[in-house]
This record gives sequence, structure tokens and C-alpha cells, in this order.
Amino acid sequence: MDDGGGLLVEMLGIGKAYGGVQACSDVTFTVRAGEVHALLGENGAGKSTLMRILSGDVAADTGTVSLDGRPVRFSSPVDAQRAGIAMIHQELDLVPGLSVADNIFLGREPRTRLGTVDRRRAHRETRELLRRTGIALDPRRPVGELRTGEQQLVVIAKALSLEARVLIMDEPTSALSPVEVEQMFTVIAELRRAGTGIVYISHRMEEIGRIADRATVLRNGAVVAEFDPRAMTAAQAAEAMVGRSVQTLFRNRSAEAGDEVLRVVDLAVRRARPGRREPDGVSLTVRRGEVVGLGGLLGSGRTELLETLFGAGSRQWRGEILLDGQRVRPRSPRQALRLGMAFVPEDRRVAGLAVDHSVHANAVLSIVERLALLGVVRRSRETGAVRRIVRELAIKLGSIRDLVGTLSGGNQQKVVFGRALLSEPRLLLLDEPTRGVDIGAKSEIYQLLGKAAAEGIGVLLASSELAELVGVCDRVVVLRAGRVVRELDTHAVSEADLLAASMGAGIAAQAVEAENGELVDVAVRGDK
Amino acid sequence: MTDQLTPEAAAPARSAGVAETLFRFQSLFGLVAVFIAAIVFSPSRGGELLFLSSENLFNVVRAVSEIGIIAVGMTFVILIGGIDLSVGAVLGLAAVGSAVLLVENDYGVLPAVLLVLLAGLVFGLLQGIASALLGIQAFIVTLAGLQIARGLARIVSGGQGVAIAYGEGPGEAPVTFSLLGERTFNGLVPIPAVIFIVVAVLAIVFLRVSAFARHVYAIGGNEKAARLSGVPVVRVKVIVFGICGLLAALAGIIHAGQLNQGSPNDGSGYELDAIAAVVVGGTALSGGRGSVVGTVAGALLLGVLNNILALNNVDPNVQLLIKGLVIVAAAGLQRLRPS
Repeated sequence: MDDGGGLLVEMLGIGKAYGGVQACSDVTFTVRAGEVHALLGENGAGKSTLMRILSGDVAADTGTVSLDGRPVRFSSPVDAQRAGIAMIHQELDLVPGLSVADNIFLGREPRTRLGTVDRRRAHRETRELLRRTGIALDPRRPVGELRTGEQQLVVIAKALSLEARVLIMDEPTSALSPVEVEQMFTVIAELRRAGTGIVYISHRMEEIGRIADRATVLRNGAVVAEFDPRAMTAAQAAEAMVGRSVQTLFRNRSAEAGDEVLRVVDLAVRRARPGRREPDGVSLTVRRGEVVGLGGLLGSGRTELLETLFGAGSRQWRGEILLDGQRVRPRSPRQALRLGMAFVPEDRRVAGLAVDHSVHANAVLSIVERLALLGVVRRSRETGAVRRIVRELAIKLGSIRDLVGTLSGGNQQKVVFGRALLSEPRLLLLDEPTRGVDIGAKSEIYQLLGKAAAEGIGVLLASSELAELVGVCDRVVVLRAGRVVRELDTHAVSEADLLAASMGAGIAAQAVEAENGELVDVAVRGDK
Repeated sequence: MTDQLTPEAAAPARSAGVAETLFRFQSLFGLVAVFIAAIVFSPSRGGELLFLSSENLFNVVRAVSEIGIIAVGMTFVILIGGIDLSVGAVLGLAAVGSAVLLVENDYGVLPAVLLVLLAGLVFGLLQGIASALLGIQAFIVTLAGLQIARGLARIVSGGQGVAIAYGEGPGEAPVTFSLLGERTFNGLVPIPAVIFIVVAVLAIVFLRVSAFARHVYAIGGNEKAARLSGVPVVRVKVIVFGICGLLAALAGIIHAGQLNQGSPNDGSGYELDAIAAVVVGGTALSGGRGSVVGTVAGALLLGVLNNILALNNVDPNVQLLIKGLVIVAAAGLQRLRPS
């Protein structure tokens, strides 16, 4: 912004190496008061390192950081926070057992005169912060009971309470529903009006186009481009990030759908566990070579449906699951795998990988027994299988003995994907397969999906990214409250149709209203 | 940040591999260091170092054989992210059981041994079922198991130690059983040491080559991911607790043979010594990382330490203190491990 926004932060010639890997080299990065500065780059491009230097988490090898024109050197995140720089991490740092208010004031609880915690004040201030954040929550509720999106907004409320002058947001919308994203944009607009400088890291190009004033692209630890985000197309940004042109983000659909591989008839879980939205009368089909999307808002029951199909959810259900016309009743993931299903779960670090085990060990886990002879593993056959997957999926690594945790997010996801493919499934169940994956790897994963489908595998793909559903799937089944509310042919629908179907008539009307009204106006272009 | 391992980055990854190897076999290096220290501080008699005499060295192995065997089983349990606090009590129950079967019930050696091993196996399997199937934490299940096994040992023995006399008559145990105590293999190597070595080698090979072991490591690394990858988590856990119970019973039989009696309080606190050996051996208490090689080295390290302190007549209370410091140091070194 040129309307007098003073320079808040100036990072000059920043360099940082980990071992022999140069994470940042000679990076210059500035934040002005009252601007949203988007930071883009593939995973491993150096975004996180740069922001960890700014927020006092790690020290730079070279270069200087200045705040208000004075050089500063932070020894810890707390140090940086005191100076007015706060970071919202991708992994939410919340204590699940503590209440919303306790989390927000953790470590700096308001005191009464007696020195005990002043809960009344904490709750009052929390309510005010939550109001500004746009959610209605009881400050006494334990954070662990909240949905991920709500937790994300609590973190943002916490950041507000710090009254930071520089706020770093690392993919803040990755777990939010469209309505919650709008709320967050409102908060960002408010912050910007108050003169806060915001660094916004995201993989979602449409968001950056809407809210950012400037965008800087990092590649291999160096600044490669600075854009005006309003004038930037997704393809240009992707090209700058990847370093080559990304021809087709989504897959080419050409496969002819074959016979029905999966038919689900009126699947309903008898008793829902608390906090889960179980399938409640779901019917759908997936044919060979077809990619069927599973849409719906957070909490609409997508994950629960996939888990139930894979034998990983509730086993108390009625209805029918037919695989290739055969009635099946998978009672465990093990059995489901034997039946020819494979599952790529939502959060690879939680449910997908043992991060301190090798790529090899993770990739072959589903087929160790099949490759073994009388219970003795046959390493050469395993190595062959892993190498094949590494080659076919173009997984970037030094050696298959590298720990999975040392790979980038996209490559980790490919390892999970590779394990699923190695089990030679006829039905592939995917839950948010590209969350937290950069655009280059995303495009590659879509191509792989297309290839799997072309080989005759049926794919059921749950996603909260509308562009993904429309761009990758042949059909989309939309869930709401554990039920199928719509089935859409993606050749003839827009993202807006999909969103409307996901939210249901009432909320959709509200959203449309918001789209025309000032809520979004404010969020989109702030106070200009 | 996540390092992207491009070919240029492969070289530092390899040097990190050297550090990784050093840490992985930390307990072996520790063992060598303690061994050298023991030689330096060894008292000598007639110009000969007491520590290095083959008799003393085999005594070290004999002394660690019971804890070592238990620690091998404990390694399996800790690798899946569990813990077994019952092993000392199971050892006591097995020792008492062996004595009672041999002396009071006139069982032959083989039936008695097999029965006791079976009992240990079943005890472990039941704890595994309670932990894996009912979802109770292993710490709590095996804490209860400790009390139960101790109680059973007191009931079976009537609260008294049962002495084992050898002979042909009623109330006397077959002489073969005394092999565990007095005799040596080859005139030199004590039988308990031989059993320990065999158990250790079998376990090392098993963990290296079996598909089952892959499942064990996978569960410890990420149980949820293992389950979703088709690992039969419940079955593997139950079997692992069974193995641990079986090995504790084996150690109990050896204990009875070495002392020529079974007493219901035998093995108190052994669970902690076994856990110490596993931890010193570099196995992560959080599961998924570690090895039996490390555990064996850890057990030997603690054994050599005990031995050299005893040879120098160090006050037993000071011995405990030194042992504690060694455990903290070993665990502290693990924290430095690059990961």
C-alpha cells in the first residue's frame, strides 16, 4: 500500500543453512503497516524457515532483521512476541484439555488481587475476542471438543489478543469451511485497518488474489518473483513457484468408465459416536476407471463414510456394500485391503506415516506379508517394489532408506499414495489427498490419479477443495449431515453450484447475500 | 522446514547417516567404554586383573542372564509403544511354580518347565488382550498384572520360600534341574548365560528378518497408520505381550535353578532393571525405534558396571547412585540424536 503504510519489518540478505542444505539465501523481505503480504512457494522453498527466523524460532546465519528501522535479534518466539511479532502455525498449538479462554490466555492469565486467575475477566475478554473473530463459542468449552475449523478461529482470536503488529499466518484456511474462510477474511480486513502487517502463507491462489496486496515467491531458498496478486494468474504463480510451466493442473479426463466396482446401498451407522457425523442412509456407486468426488462441508460425514467403507470406522451399520457385485462387510482395514480396497487417510502425519521410519518401511507395509516367504521378509523383492513406486510416482529422495519425515509434504503424500497402489486395489479411497501439498506435487498427484483410473481402478475422493472436485472428478456426490443431498455431473457444474449444494438452501442464501453485501466487500479489498 | 532431498543434498544426508549409526549403537560404544574403565579400575591379585579372568567375565554374563532375558521380551513390548511392569512378579511366580511342581508335585523337569513356560505365555497373552482389545493402557494392565502374579505366587507357595532339594525320592527334584545352577557348558560357560545368548540371538534374527517384526516396528512408529495399512494391530500386540510373559517365566525357571529355591518375592524390582537395560540400549520408550542388540549391550553394560563396583567394594548405596547416573546419561545422549 502506498497510502503511508510505514515499513514495519525489513529482512535483508537473510541466509540460513541446515547441514548442507541452503534453506534461505540472500532473501530480502519486507512488511509494511496495514498490508497483507502473501508468501508463496513450494514446500521446501524456504517459506517456513524465513518466517521462523522472523518469529524468533531460529537464528539466521547471515543478514539482518529490522523492526521499525532498528535492527533486532530475537532469541525465542516469546522474545519476538514481546516485540509485537506473532505467528499462527499450521499445526495448531492448542491444549485440547483446556477451555477456549484458558488457551487464549495461557501463560499470561489475568489475575485477581489475590493472585488467583481472574476467570470472569478471562471469559469476558474471550467472548469479545471471539465476537471479533466471528464465531459464537462458549469460552468454557474444552478446545478438544471443537471442530478443526473452530480451533483455527480460536488460534486467530488468540493472535488478536496478543495485539501483534506483525502477524504471520501459515496456511490459516487449510482447515476452514467456505463460510469460516469468509469470517477469517473479515478479521484480516479489520486487522489491516488497524495497521497490522500480515504475512500470509497459502497454497490457494484464489485467496491470495482476493486479500493480498503484494506477493513474493520463493524457490529453492531465494526470491524469484514479486507480483501484484490482483494481476497474477494462477498459472503464472504456479510457474514461478515450480520453475517451469505447469501445463495442466488437473487431470485429463478421457477414461471410459467400466463396470460398477462399488455400490453402496442405504448405508447407515446404527449409533453415532459423539463428535462424529456417521453415514445416515448413503447410497452411491463408483465404476471402474471413474473418479467420484465426495463433497460437502467440514463435518458433513465424508471421512466417516470412507472409514466405514474401509472397516476403520463403526462396524455397527446396516445397508449394503457391494464390491464387484459381491456383498462385503469389512470388519477391519486389513480385511478391506484383502477385498481390494486401499485408503489414503486425511492427515498423513497422524494416520498415514511413521515419520521416523524409512521410506522403504512405510511404503511396503501393506504388502510385507505378501512378499514374505514363510514369514521371512524378502528384502530384494521389497526394494524392487519400493523403487518402482518411487520411479512411477517421481518421489524425490536421496535413498529409499531416508526417513519419511525428511521428505517434503508432497513427497510424503506420494509415499502414502504409493503404499496404497502397491496393494493393487480395485477401489481407491482418498481423503483430502492434496492437503498441505504444494502446487507442483498437487498437479503430479492429479496425474497419478488419472493414471490409476485409466488402469481401471475406481476412485472415491473426498475433498473440501471445490476446484479439486470440479477439476478432477467425473461426478461429485455431495453429503450433508451424513446424507447424500445431491449428485452432480462435473462436466456441467461450477464451483458455485457445488458450494450451494454443500451448504443447503438456507446457508447458501446467506452466503449469496454476503457475496453482494459489505461483509465480503470489506474482506476482499479492505478499507480502500 | 522440510528439507527437499535433491541429489545435492544427498551428501550431508549420508554424513548424518554416520551420526545416526553412532547413536543407534550407542550402547555398544558405551559397553566398550565401561569395559575399558573396568579394566583400568580392576583390582589385581598375583599380577592378574581380577576383572579380566574368564571366570569373572562369565559370572558377569551369568549375573545379567535373568535380567537380560526379561529385557529382550521388554524390548518387544516397548517397541510397540507399551510397557510391561509385571515381568518381575511373573519371574517370581515362575520360580515358585517350578519349585512347587518339582518338589511338592514330583513333576519331571520337562513337564514342569513346559507347564511354567505355558503359564507365563498365557499370563502375557491375557495382559495383551486386556490392553489391546479392551483398550486399557499397558501401564495399568501390567501394574495390575504385577499384583496378581505376586498374589498367585504367595498363594501357590503358602507365602514361604520353597527349597529345592535334589535326589530320586519323593519331595526331591530331579538332578537335571540343578544344571541351571552349578553346571557349566563346556566346563566354563554357565548354562544360564548359554540360554541368554541363545534367546538374544533368536530375538535379534527374528526382529531382523520376520514380517511380524515389521508390524511390531510399524505399530510403535504410528499405530493408526499401521492399522490403516492392514497391520493386525490387536493380534500383534497380544502376541508381543505373550512373548514377554514367556521370557519372564523362562527367567523365573533359571532363577529357581540358580538359587535352588523359589520364593514368592523373587524378582521384585526386576522390571525396572529390565526397562533400564532397554533404555540404556537406545530403544525409544515411545516405541518404533530400537533393537535387541542394543538391549543386550545395555544389560551387559549395567552388569559390567555392577561387577566392577562390587570388585572394588564400593558401598552398595553408592553403586545405586552411579547406576542411576549412567541411565540418565544414556537417555540424555539419545536426546541429542539427530532426527
